[in-house]
Amino acid sequence: MPKRKLTGLLTAAMVLLIAGILIFRQSEQVDFSTEVKPILNKNCISCHGGVKKNGGFSVLFEEEALALTKSGVSAIIPGDPKNSELIKRLHEEDPELRMPYHRASLTDEEIQTLHKWIKQGAKWGKHWAYTPVQKPKVNWTNQQAGFSDSKKNYLGIDFFIHEKQKENKLTFSEEEDSRKLLRRVSLDITGLPPTEGLQNDWLTGKITYEQLVDRLLDSSSFGEKWASWWLDLARYADTKGYERDVSRTMWKYRDWVIKAFNEDKPFDEFTIEQLAGDLLPNPSQEQMIATAFHRNTMNNDEGGTEDEEFRVAAVLDRVNTTFEVWQSTTMACVQCHSHPYDPFKHEEYFQLTAFFNNTRDEDTHDEEPKLRFYEGEDLEKISSILSWVNSNGSQKEAEALHDFFNFREPKYHAHLCEDFVNGELIDTKWLGLWHDGSCYLRNVDTQGADQLLMHYNSGLDGTKISIRNGGPEGEILSQFTIEKTSNVTKSFPFKKLTAPVDLYIEADNPKASPQQSTSAITWFAFVNSLPGKEIEGYKEMNDHFHSVLNSKVPTLPIMIENPSFMQRKTHVFERGNWLLHGEEVKPKTPEALNAWNPDWPDNRLGLAYWLTDTGNPLTSRTFVNRIWDQLFGRGLISSIEDMGTQSEAPSHPELLDFLSYNFMHEMDWSMKKLIKTIVLSKTYRQKSILSPELYQQDPQNKWYARGPRIRLSSEQIRDQVLFVSGLLSQKMYGPPVMPFQPEGIWETVYNGESWKLSEGEDKHRRAVYTFLKRTSPYPSFITFDAGSREVCVSKRIVTNTPLQALVTLNDPVFLEAAFHLGQKMKSYSNNDPLKAIAFGYELCMVSPISPNKMEIFHSLYKDALSEYQNNPELIAELIPDETNEKSAELAAFTVVANALLNLDEFLTKP
Amino acid sequence: MKNINHLLAELEQQRLEKQTRRHFLMDCVSKVGGLALAPLLFSCGLGSSKEKINGLNLSERDLNPLAPLPPPFLPKSKSIIYLHMAGAPSQLELFDYKPELVKYNNQPCPESLLEGRKFAFIRGVPNLMGPQANFSQHGESGAWVSDFLPHFSKVADEVAFLKAVHTDQFNHGPAQLFMQTGSPRLGRPSLGSWVTYGLGTENQNLPGFVVLTSGGKTPDAGKSVWGSGFLPSVYQGVQCRSKGDPVLYLEDPKGISRNLKRSIISSINQVNSEEFDHYGDPEILARINQYEMAYRMQIEVPEVMNINDEPDYIHSLYGTDPGKESFANNCLLARKLVEKGVRFVQLYDWGWDSHGTDKANAIDMGFRNKCKEIDRPMSALLLDLKQRGLLEDTLVIWGGEFGRTPMQENREGKTMGFKGRDHHVDAFSMWMAGGGVKKGTSYGLTDDFGFSGIEGRVSVHDIHATILHLMGFDHETFTHEFQGRPFRLTDVEGEIIKEILA
Repeated sequence: MPKRKLTGLLTAAMVLLIAGILIFRQSEQVDFSTEVKPILNKNCISCHGGVKKNGGFSVLFEEEALALTKSGVSAIIPGDPKNSELIKRLHEEDPELRMPYHRASLTDEEIQTLHKWIKQGAKWGKHWAYTPVQKPKVNWTNQQAGFSDSKKNYLGIDFFIHEKQKENKLTFSEEEDSRKLLRRVSLDITGLPPTEGLQNDWLTGKITYEQLVDRLLDSSSFGEKWASWWLDLARYADTKGYERDVSRTMWKYRDWVIKAFNEDKPFDEFTIEQLAGDLLPNPSQEQMIATAFHRNTMNNDEGGTEDEEFRVAAVLDRVNTTFEVWQSTTMACVQCHSHPYDPFKHEEYFQLTAFFNNTRDEDTHDEEPKLRFYEGEDLEKISSILSWVNSNGSQKEAEALHDFFNFREPKYHAHLCEDFVNGELIDTKWLGLWHDGSCYLRNVDTQGADQLLMHYNSGLDGTKISIRNGGPEGEILSQFTIEKTSNVTKSFPFKKLTAPVDLYIEADNPKASPQQSTSAITWFAFVNSLPGKEIEGYKEMNDHFHSVLNSKVPTLPIMIENPSFMQRKTHVFERGNWLLHGEEVKPKTPEALNAWNPDWPDNRLGLAYWLTDTGNPLTSRTFVNRIWDQLFGRGLISSIEDMGTQSEAPSHPELLDFLSYNFMHEMDWSMKKLIKTIVLSKTYRQKSILSPELYQQDPQNKWYARGPRIRLSSEQIRDQVLFVSGLLSQKMYGPPVMPFQPEGIWETVYNGESWKLSEGEDKHRRAVYTFLKRTSPYPSFITFDAGSREVCVSKRIVTNTPLQALVTLNDPVFLEAAFHLGQKMKSYSNNDPLKAIAFGYELCMVSPISPNKMEIFHSLYKDALSEYQNNPELIAELIPDETNEKSAELAAFTVVANALLNLDEFLTKP
Repeated sequence: MKNINHLLAELEQQRLEKQTRRHFLMDCVSKVGGLALAPLLFSCGLGSSKEKINGLNLSERDLNPLAPLPPPFLPKSKSIIYLHMAGAPSQLELFDYKPELVKYNNQPCPESLLEGRKFAFIRGVPNLMGPQANFSQHGESGAWVSDFLPHFSKVADEVAFLKAVHTDQFNHGPAQLFMQTGSPRLGRPSLGSWVTYGLGTENQNLPGFVVLTSGGKTPDAGKSVWGSGFLPSVYQGVQCRSKGDPVLYLEDPKGISRNLKRSIISSINQVNSEEFDHYGDPEILARINQYEMAYRMQIEVPEVMNINDEPDYIHSLYGTDPGKESFANNCLLARKLVEKGVRFVQLYDWGWDSHGTDKANAIDMGFRNKCKEIDRPMSALLLDLKQRGLLEDTLVIWGGEFGRTPMQENREGKTMGFKGRDHHVDAFSMWMAGGGVKKGTSYGLTDDFGFSGIEGRVSVHDIHATILHLMGFDHETFTHEFQGRPFRLTDVEGEIIKEILA
């Protein structure tokens, strides 16, 4: 064929092809979510969105975008791009009129997309993450089609990963060698290197990989490892935060999380119990403990602070945290205005707030309500009192009393007192009336109770307290004298009332010096006295009652809903200011998400049902994305905290939905099944070697053509070091511990607490049990990127700093571990350095040492040995006093161990 | 024209940057000595563009997140020393002279001032309290400075006063967070983190953002005031301590000599280098880099933190007392750190919460003593920076988290045994000095009682915008992507205070 003719034909073919593409593209429907919304978000929304609506135009919501603008015309006229102001302004030549204002103009392609979209009717669409999770199709081979569901699940992962790899001209790396894979999966599932037994069983082929994974998932270390991750989301800490940052007792919640993970509590139940365990029918103690999730909010004890301001801050934090943790949605911006990018309206934020705004906690110093953990005699007394009330009174009374014993609600906190004469709130917390002092406690509903319970202390004898109805002239409802006492709960007869009243409280004590508080009152409660006063045994019962109320028992802050007569109204806060109340709102979930089922109660429990409904588009996707991120160091959506319209598009949308759908429908919300599915995949089991070409093509490992290689977390680093040196304590649960920490770290103002080194094995517990002080977290943990747990953290950013090197080289905790590892090496090898180094290396890395590395360590050993032989005084400095053996060899092994514990491969998941 | 000048300036900036890097490199090669690892050279600041190592295209920041970067605009200052008086000092006894208030001493505060206001501790109607210090004018600028600060009054010509700063937080914790992170709630990066994130630091052997505390306590808001929020934690402040290790875990363990430490680190890095050959993961190179830096930090930090060897005249200038934790020592350290190329030095001095509940926090007793403690050192700091030619590219900032009321505190409605003032958000004073700041100025005016600003009111966001401007940033475009949106230090507010720019 002559050359010219060929060219001619080719040209013709090209023309046809291009025309074909153009025709094809012309006829194609523009997709709002994937094509239009990104252009609007990138170029328009910062001036025409939730915060600013310049020119009266916003592209956030459909009705806003199509509405008339300030100039009286619509910026978008569906079907008519030429007359749409939006398009006109993009083409405008006058820089004052051309949009985006004073910024680079849109590309022709972008303008074309918008043009076409308007021409096609400017159809609004839903962001992918707000559409229900649907099961994507997998093209199974005939053989695969016959596999079990669980096998299909992990094969499905590889199928979707491979599809994307093909698009990017990549493919899987080969499977990681068995020892490295063992270490990887063990660190991922249990946070620890594999135990000796497991190593043997796996390396000798006694168990399959799946059995290995099952053994790891069954280990109680699983819960401890994954709890650290959840506690970041739950903002769990052992102190209250803010200025004084004093301790609080929250650890029973931490233990609940560990147990829940170990029991593989389905994630829907796990959710419901934490958000609303108290509202379940006849909640168990464990379900009540779970609600401490939302009592991890900070509590401000700083003098001069208004409790209501910080109660509101805690409530809003609960809204924000709930939406970040379960919905990957950043609600905090909707606090002040409609969301700048996502379809959430200002009032919707406060409708969500209404779900959380009716709990009893009020940022009081004592952090009530708190669950009480009674034991022994107290339990017996309670049971006898309750059966007394049941038989002499009513079941209802017994139930109310049961609750009052358990969490002391309902009650009125003294900080509600107002209009003081000769008195004030002491440190803005406790009621302190001086001689001839008075105040009001308004709108109190005693529910007709005949008894007042008051919690107080007093430094004076003989203070007469009178409580009147309505004011100084009102009827006396209760009058009594209180004596000098430390904190006590006492009962006083109270006149039965049928309606809410304003209490007028007076105190008289001529013995008090001027401006001296006669007592410090914490709260008032109205609880019926025990029935059956005429029956024998009453006095004993009444004594029991008071003894139980004043029994010192362990406690835990929990969520308790306001009774009907204490319900709060929720208002929109204008511009997010809690003092500027707008219209009243009722609990309601956002329009853009799944529908509400009218059978659900309009409270936190209903909200928890809504979140765990299989129709909720975000809960399952969020959870799957988080677990994936934990295992691969990167989520399928890389912005872990946000799945909104501004988030990065998912790298593998079908895979995300495949796993999210199966997580709900096939795995029944089982976290262990989900983790198992992922770690069984080929994707997870690849070698993590990075060739220059691969780095060039995919530096972030977005297409998973290699295995995950990530630095370990601060917790894993500590636990692993203690594990390989043989120091790690197996003890689980209980109060937080204080391992070694240098002097002078805690210097919090107005706080007398100090770091007291734990004793015995408590010095070597897993990191999850370390006391976490918010204003001063454990130093080596923050250095390795752990946070202070003041607010919910979805992802720790991994850094690589010289301060980390200083920790693992010099922190006495790591040095102690090096010494113990050195000792193990020495005794194992009978002083043969080569044998010792090989042993130590394998203990740390699970793999045998290479000849090159052996040479490096051997030479370090020889250097160290001669250093200690020449300077024997250094030996005694290095080796702990209590060890008798002060040999140069032991010192040199310690030095080698110190180096081993600092290797990049040791600090990194292979 | 403006654009061309800007470009020229940028080029010059880059040239300077390269030059320092070259020196640094030579320095570095000689220090690392025998350990010939190619990647190590990288740590010494070779080039800001991408470099090829083992076939990987890496930028300097990939290996060292603190590598220096030029700011987008020509900066006026290269480093910052921020003196934060935690607890909030009274402006009415220091810089905001209110002769009228003298007349109303002990008179009940006019109701109009109290209407709709909330105070932390004041209840009912408190009495006004006149200034408890004597004021006079100083220097050519005629700045009003009280006799609580006799030394500082001599350097008043060096600074620009802001007399009508306001905030919206009247509790210490939230107010300190607001002042240092731009938000009263937790979770935002601190000013120092932003600056180090944007600029890196000049000296890789020292932390880029150093925090020094005095007064026996850390600030009320805790370590979050120097936290990195959603920025990588490498940009958080590093607290250098006066007692124990200046930086935690800096000192070699007992029984491990410097020599041996060198061998240990060399072995670790040789093995890591093997590991890199196998895995090709650039994070390993970064780690090798960090271990070398750690080793150098172990030498350089104790050197810079040791003030014993300073000449006597320096000690008498600052009033330093080596070995003690003091504001004076910290001022001298701040100068040394900045001189060595540290980007941001943050001092917190605790003990300024002068409520008058006891002697230690009475305006005329404890507060006066606190003034004595800072007067000489902070004046010395300005003089010393100046005599070394450092003041022209160092920005020095002084202030608290809010001000104090013109009324005497009557906590819980009681009459108090000592003279004190409550927290006040409406008006307080700060000052700035050094690179890019107009010397000898005073901007902003308060009413006769010093209660509210009536002219030149500036917000915390304005102060941040101005600081960033002086460091070469536009506060509106200096952002970090988080939770699907760009975050900035000044949120959606902030105006540069042009009136105090040179």
